[in-house]
Amino acid sequence: MKARTRAAAILLTPFFVLFTAVMVVPIGYAVWLSLFTEKQSGLGFGGTETIFTGLDNYTAALGDRAFREGFGVLLGYCLFYIPLLLVGALGLALLLDSALARARRFFQLALFLPHAVPGIIAALIWVYLYTPQLSPVVKAMEAGGIGFDFFSPEGALPSIVNIALWEWLGYNMVIFYAALQAIDRSVLEAATVDGAGAWRIAFSIKVPLVKASLAMVGLFTVIGSLQLFTEPLILNKGTGSAVTSTWTPNMYAYTAAFDRNDYGLAAAASVLLALTAALLSFAVTRLTARNRKGKAA
Amino acid sequence: MSLSRSRTSCVIAATASALAVLTACGGSGADSANKPAGPVTITFWGWAKGSKDVVDAFNASHTDIQVKFEEIPSGTAGGYAKISNAVKAGNAPDLVSIEYSSLPEFVSSGALQDIGDQFTEADRAKLLPQSVELTTLGGKSWAVPFDAAPQAFFYRKDLFATYKVQAPATWDEFRKAAEQVKKADAKARIATFFPDDPTTFEAMAWQAGAQWFKAENDTWKIDTTDAATTKVAAYWQGLLDDGLVHKNASFSPEWTGSLKNGTTIGYLGASWGAGVLKGTLPEQSGKWAVAPMPSWDGKPASGMLGGTSFAVTKDSKQKAAAVTFAEWMSTTEEGVKARIASGTSSAFPAAAALRPVAKKAFDASYYGGQDIYALFEASGASINPNWAWGPTTGTTNTTIKDHFGKITQGGPGITDAVKAGHDATVAELTKRGLKVEG
Repeated sequence: MKARTRAAAILLTPFFVLFTAVMVVPIGYAVWLSLFTEKQSGLGFGGTETIFTGLDNYTAALGDRAFREGFGVLLGYCLFYIPLLLVGALGLALLLDSALARARRFFQLALFLPHAVPGIIAALIWVYLYTPQLSPVVKAMEAGGIGFDFFSPEGALPSIVNIALWEWLGYNMVIFYAALQAIDRSVLEAATVDGAGAWRIAFSIKVPLVKASLAMVGLFTVIGSLQLFTEPLILNKGTGSAVTSTWTPNMYAYTAAFDRNDYGLAAAASVLLALTAALLSFAVTRLTARNRKGKAA
Repeated sequence: MSLSRSRTSCVIAATASALAVLTACGGSGADSANKPAGPVTITFWGWAKGSKDVVDAFNASHTDIQVKFEEIPSGTAGGYAKISNAVKAGNAPDLVSIEYSSLPEFVSSGALQDIGDQFTEADRAKLLPQSVELTTLGGKSWAVPFDAAPQAFFYRKDLFATYKVQAPATWDEFRKAAEQVKKADAKARIATFFPDDPTTFEAMAWQAGAQWFKAENDTWKIDTTDAATTKVAAYWQGLLDDGLVHKNASFSPEWTGSLKNGTTIGYLGASWGAGVLKGTLPEQSGKWAVAPMPSWDGKPASGMLGGTSFAVTKDSKQKAAAVTFAEWMSTTEEGVKARIASGTSSAFPAAAALRPVAKKAFDASYYGGQDIYALFEASGASINPNWAWGPTTGTTNTTIKDHFGKITQGGPGITDAVKAGHDATVAELTKRGLKVEG
């Protein structure tokens, strides 16, 4: 027993060391920073004084329209992106699972490949494809009579959603495909014997059986969306697009720290965002746990 | 989802952890060089063209001081964030490049030290008064000015001739010229509005006589909606609405692409732009010319667009050596020559005595041998001396940039953007505990 405890302690130590160093300490430091503000006097050329201001940075962040609008953008992003992602990824997985047996490997790889491209590179590639005077895509669209400005206020959200879809569609398709492969083949055979066609099997048998992974992907994507940062930041810097420097809450924190030099406000915004993510994660785990319990019963 | 998970943990701590880690490994390289024997080593961060050549030339000719140069991204592209973080973390270099527009912000955040005792009245007298004024804040001297950046209009003289357009002397003529260019070639435009770069617009407002930031009796008076700014905003809004200028991000592939294929045939920039064009479009050598900035009344007038100074960071223990090197870069013939001779810099030195040196070192064949330094000289003398920068440039410019991006036909315009910048500036100053009127 003693040896087991020791083994457990040894094996767990690296985890806790890293967890403390890269999670607990930085978050603690962020909370600490968020309670202070740098104040100046006169014209401000006498240097700064760091003053404890309690929750002032939190009220400042929450009171800032730009910060609240960031959450609005996230909501719009989720409403736009998640249905497209789920339907697209599931549709592709169903296709792979049924007809295209021989091309399966090729498509699996081809669809997954974009996910291997780092987000920042993906965003740079897409910015090029969005830029009016450079992009062959925009040129082709214009030739076809479709004028669409990807950098305009209306175009910003679709532009970002498109990049995210490109990055994540294949990845989630693989998850769904794995779930579909796990379905007991005898169930499908029975359905075929009963005279069900491919459509019927897909919608009445396969989709209900992968509902759990559908829910999981959906909820994880919501939480992942809270962190939206890299792609819009690239669109913000150097394109003159309508993506503002405070477009998402994450970008708000970044801008507060590095453009406005207000580390307290940045820390408060980060903590608020982390809290939102924690609450959502908690809700997700509770929901999935209940689901599992419901199934067991 | 493991990827997005790891992203999560990164981002939660985005602003904080970097600092924490940096603090942990603080202690700058500069300190270790603080030995009694041997040369003093200082570190210098900058991004201006030719900096590396200048440092090499300095190191080759000095035994008592050696400079370690590290190139950083240009200020607003991340350089300033890097400097602020390093200062916060206690491992900042001794000397940093800071543009005039951002200097007050660094001073007010306590990132720099007063160099008045090393950089004396006599030293300052050699430099363009407008530049000295911009580095003197609250009665103290905070940086060694390197260049002044008088505005200038660069244009394709071959295409101007083809389209039978004259280089405009006034803004009225500029608009007419813009119409002529568009008429001659439906795809071509005379210049570009940079939605990502408020400083170009600010230089125009500055030229027109605006004074956005005024310090009086310990109070900041903020006024970005004065008559001059309103006039400039309305003028540019008109050019945009009538499609007389392109709207592209500055120095973007889109902008360079349009210069390359001749659909943008002019550039409203500043002295340093001469080197940028030369470096960006080497194949168009001989096709460009420089004209003074168009003005409102036809008399020479200029704002300042950019312009670099060198400042010593708060914790540097090598102030004397750092200032010596900064002065060498700004006020000696060798320093200026080394930079310009690198081929990519067309900096206009703040030191009057060195302008002939710069002129001689700059190969003006790109501009058909035009005496561009004489033009900068006249433009530099006409820089409106009343403009000052406030301590919230980051907030002001980020806000204006965000709103410039939202400009649409019939939607919000330049005036709205400038107003938003005004409000954000006032709010920021108030939050910092400073007295504001505006």
